[in-house]
Order: sequence, then C-alpha cells, then structure tokens
Amino acid sequence: MVIKVENLVKRYGDLIALDHFNMELHEGEVLGLLGPNGSGKTTAINCILSLLKYDKGNIEIFGKPMSPDAYDIKRDIGIIMQNVAVFEELTVYENTDYFCGLYVTDKKKRRALVDEAIEFVGLKDFKKFYPKKLSGGLLRRLNIACGIAHKPKLIILDEPTVAVDPQSRNNILEGILRLNKEGASIVYTSHYMEEVEQICSRIIIMDKGKTIAAGTKDELKSMIKAGEKVTVKVYQPNEGVLTGIRSLNNVISAEFDGEMLVVKCGKGSHNLMMILEHLKANDIRFGKVYSEPPTLNDVFLEITGKELRD
Amino acid sequence: MFAHIYLYRLKCIVRDKQVVFWTLLFPILLAVLFEMAFSNITKGEVFKEIKIAVVDNEAFRKDIHFQEALKAVSTEADGSRLFDIRYASKEDCINLLKDGEIEGYIYCENGIHLEIKNNGLNETIIKSFLDDYQQTAATLQTVMAQNPEAMQKGLIDEIAKRKDYLKEVAASHSEPDTAVHYFYTLLAMACMYGSFWGLKEIYAIQGNQSAQGARVCAAPTQKMRAFAASLLAAVTAQAAIILIVLLFLIFALGVDFGNRLAYVVLTCLVGTVAGVTYGTFISILSHKSEGIKVGTLIGTTMLFSFLAGMMYDGMKLIINNNIPILGYLNPVNLIADSFYALYFYSGTTHYSLNLMILAAMAVVFGLITFLVLRRQKYASL
Repeated sequence: MVIKVENLVKRYGDLIALDHFNMELHEGEVLGLLGPNGSGKTTAINCILSLLKYDKGNIEIFGKPMSPDAYDIKRDIGIIMQNVAVFEELTVYENTDYFCGLYVTDKKKRRALVDEAIEFVGLKDFKKFYPKKLSGGLLRRLNIACGIAHKPKLIILDEPTVAVDPQSRNNILEGILRLNKEGASIVYTSHYMEEVEQICSRIIIMDKGKTIAAGTKDELKSMIKAGEKVTVKVYQPNEGVLTGIRSLNNVISAEFDGEMLVVKCGKGSHNLMMILEHLKANDIRFGKVYSEPPTLNDVFLEITGKELRD
Repeated sequence: MFAHIYLYRLKCIVRDKQVVFWTLLFPILLAVLFEMAFSNITKGEVFKEIKIAVVDNEAFRKDIHFQEALKAVSTEADGSRLFDIRYASKEDCINLLKDGEIEGYIYCENGIHLEIKNNGLNETIIKSFLDDYQQTAATLQTVMAQNPEAMQKGLIDEIAKRKDYLKEVAASHSEPDTAVHYFYTLLAMACMYGSFWGLKEIYAIQGNQSAQGARVCAAPTQKMRAFAASLLAAVTAQAAIILIVLLFLIFALGVDFGNRLAYVVLTCLVGTVAGVTYGTFISILSHKSEGIKVGTLIGTTMLFSFLAGMMYDGMKLIINNNIPILGYLNPVNLIADSFYALYFYSGTTHYSLNLMILAAMAVVFGLITFLVLRRQKYASL
C-alpha cells in the first residue's frame, strides 16, 4: 500500500472540509480524486503531505505514519501544486535544480536527474529561460519538472492542467502515464472528468469532503441506473410521439429542444434501435443520431443531484 | 543542503531588480538629492572674515597701538583672521557701507568710533573687539599714570595675555555638522530596507504564504536549516548593498563618518540584521497579502526615519525632550545615533548602548520569527 487514509476529518471553524474521508493508493496505480471545486480534494492532499493540521484520522505512506519530519517518506514523494510553484528569478534549469537539490544532495547525480526531468517535460530548448518568458503550458511543464526531477515513487498532482491549452494538456497527461509506466504511483486530482477517465485506473468521487463513490470508471458507471444517452435530430415531432417514446421500455426521460431529441435510457443493448423504429413508425423524419455511454458527470449527477461543474 | 539553499536564495535576491532598486539605488539617489539640498547648510556654518573699513585720517595714523591691534586680527597668522580691512577716506567708507560691501567702518576722532548699517552677529563682533581694545587701552593708561614702574616689569605683556582658568575638554573630536545627521539617518533607513529581503525569504519557505514555500515544506528539508540559509543570504546581500551605499557616501559625496570606520561597519552589520529580521517578523506575524506587508514595511520605516529626523532634524530633539523612550525603540534612530555618536563623541558609551539595544531588537525579531516558523503544520494554506 502506498497511501492509506482512514477517517480523515478536517474542519475550518464550522465548515467541515473533510468528513471521515478514506483513501487507498496501491502500488502502480493512478488514482483520480474527482470532485467539484471546494469538494475537499486539495485539502486532502495537503493533509496527506502533512502541510495541514487535521482534526482526526490516520495517514500512512509506504506503510509508515506520515508526519512533517518524516524525511525518509518525503524523500520519495513528488508534489506538483495547483499553483505554479517556481521562482521568477531562476531559470528553468535553476528552478529544477533548486527543488531537486532539496531531495538529492549529490551534485553529479543531481545534474543528470535535472537534465532528464527537463527533457521529459520537453523544456530542453528552454533551459536558460526565466519563467516569465514561458507560456502558460510551458510553465505548467516546468512546475511538473520541479516536482519529479528526484524520481519519486509517489507523485501527487493537484489539478496540474488548470488554465492550460488542449495541446499542452494532452502532453501533460501523456507524461503522467509515462511516469506511471516507469513505476511511479500517482494521485491525480481534477474537476475535469474527461482527464480522470483518460488516465486514472481507479477513481474516488468527492463531494463536501466525503467519498461519494469509488472504483474503476466502469464500476462507477455501473453503479447508476442511467445507461446510454441517445440524441437524434428530428423534424416536427408531435407531443404524441414524445409521449410514445417516454413510454418505451427502458426509457428514463425524453426531451425535445426544438431541434434535438434527447433520450436517456437505462442499461440495455437495443435502446437506439427501439427509438429509431418508433420514430419511423410515426413517420417522423430524423437526421443525425448520436449514442453516448454514461459519463462520470452522470454518475455524479445521479448520486448528488447536481452537475460536477455546478 | 545549506550551501545549496544559500546560493540559490542569494541568486534570487540579487536578481530581484525591484527590491535591489529600493535597497540600493533609492538610498543613493536620495543621498545625491540630500547633497544638493544640504551643501548650502554646511557652507553657512563656516566662519568668514568680517569685511570692515578704517578711515585713514590723521588721528588713526597717530594711533600706532590701534594700528597694531588691527593688524593682529587681520593677518592670517594661524590660517584664520577676524577682519578683512580696507583703509579709505571717510567718504569712501560711507559709500562702501551704503553699498553693503562692508559690515561697518571705524574712524578715530576724539576716540574710536564705529559706524554700522545693520545689527547682527558680525556687527556685534566688531563692537566687542573695539570695546575690548578700548578697555585694555584705558587700563594701560591708568597704570601708566598711577604706577609707571609697573610698565617696566612686563605689565603690558601680562595685560595682553589672555589666560583662561577654565580648561575646555572637547566632548567631540569632530566639528558639529547638521548635514551629516541627514546622511546618517538615510543610511539607517537603508539598513532597515533589508526588511524587504526578510519578507521575501519568509515567502520562499512558508507553506501558508506561497506555493514555493509549500513545495519547500513538502521536501525532506529541515525548515530551520532552510530558514537559516535564507536569512544568511538576505543578510549577505543587504550587507553588501549597505557597504556600497556607505562607500558612495564617503567617497562620492564626502560625508564624514569620523575615523572609527570599523565601528561604523559594525553598526551597518547590526543594522542590517535588525532590518532583515524586522522583515521576517512582520511577514511571519501577518496573514495579509504581500502588498499590504510591503506597504507596512515602507510605512513603518518611513515613520521611523521621520522620527529619527530624516525629514526634519529638529524632530530628533523633540522626541529626546518629550518621549525619550521612543528614540530607544526606533531602530532607524538607534542606527543613525550610533553613527553620530562615533562621529561626535570621543568615548563609546553612548554608541555601545545604542548598538546593544539594536542587537537586542534583532534578537527579539529573530526569536519571534523562529518560534512561529518552527510550527510545522498549518491550520490553513
């Protein structure tokens, strides 16, 4: 077990930021902490890192209790903060070397590690650049280089793709998967469900400081009633047709917005065919047709009654 | 690890152009302005010989003793003289006085007379000289009339001698100079500007003040070691800056710091440590934004400087007379007063007291910073 968190409680006055939060990270896993802003993801990370005091609970990392002076544990942890944590006065190389130097004292060894980290994040051509000369995406990559240069066994990434363009975001996500393949266990927090779905082998969905669901993405999706969502472009359906669709077996809801008909169905393999046959039978012309499996947002919506990004 | 953090923090400090401007260039610019503004004050304090005229008439030519007395005070025997004398006709003397070219003129006619246009210090000096001469001359005439034998026994030399029965022991070994006080306060203010570096260093290692600090706290680094390295980097940079400002004041502007430069440098060092720790103290105690903290540092340093007499030298006297304790609680005043004590007083009692209080202040600031900083977990980030 890489991380084990049991019954973690953190209060800010009357506000409960973490409410008996539990978490486990197994070796080689990419664990996603998914939840809306304010759900307690960053608070959980800061407690795990022993930066924040907490009111109750136990935290173990690599099988040992975590504390601020557990230097042997900290040596194997890499942290990538939500805010870019680099010094404006140091170049890309110097920033990476400075933070790596807090973990690795051997200069020669460090030089090789810093070069490797800079190459890993694709900043080889920007070694002598100061942070203010870098774009937002490159800056995020530097932030990552500073956190991984010492080759940690556990990497914690707290929303590393916030305010990053899609291309840089893909680079970052690919990099995280590469780090995982090289042996690092990873905790990844985000409120972007697509990212979490893309890279995480297991996901914890959080809301109001609590774990509301946990498992692989398939396990999470199987927890809810909703199956696929069928969207059809239809021409002039009457209310009778809509009522007919709503009464079909396995249909949960059907809405028409003047152009698109959106039908939410339960789990089943013939939903799309059933809907299209009903439209044909009623002489309703239709155009584009989409069928989407349920998303993590649907999971969140069904459990909490609100959207992930509300 | 210590050297690693120290060297990188030093790099960060040296490359921070904004703070380098405020700690190095701003005091130098202000010193140049002071020099331009105060150079006339110093000039005004230098004694200049008084321009007078003497009516060159028959009576004056006959009075050999008076001529000799005038000659004695108008020749540069020891590099200074009291009067710059012109000899002219009475009409010319009247015109010279009218044109303001002389402070007064003397004429001999049934005694010695003085004509002046205004009343002032120079006129008083001329009058005092004439009174003194006439009193001595009258004494001699009386002695000659009553006891002429005494003249043979060297009475003239005795009367001419001015013997003081009080010995003047100089409290200072330097000339009083109003302008140096302004420069001393300026250098003291520059020392206290080291507080900006203190603030910066706390930001760099405190997990609840910056993301960089949080990263440092998450690393396997002893916080106090990181703090010690950062503090040393800040003190090194600020001490170098203060040394540059000091050298500029001495060699470029000719500000007199006396001849005990080692003590002056020691004062700068203690002042620098007090400045840097004051910055760490303000930074660690407040959870306000960086802008508010910088504003607090600038505001308090300017207030300290004002109370120490940087904008108005009389303020120092007002504080000393009314609330003397405030002078001892004001680090800028303590630093400036230490410079002045070294410059003006021969002993080191006053200087040592100032320096000890300043050092104690630095210890208190540092200790409070240490006590807050050693807390390893935060209630909030």
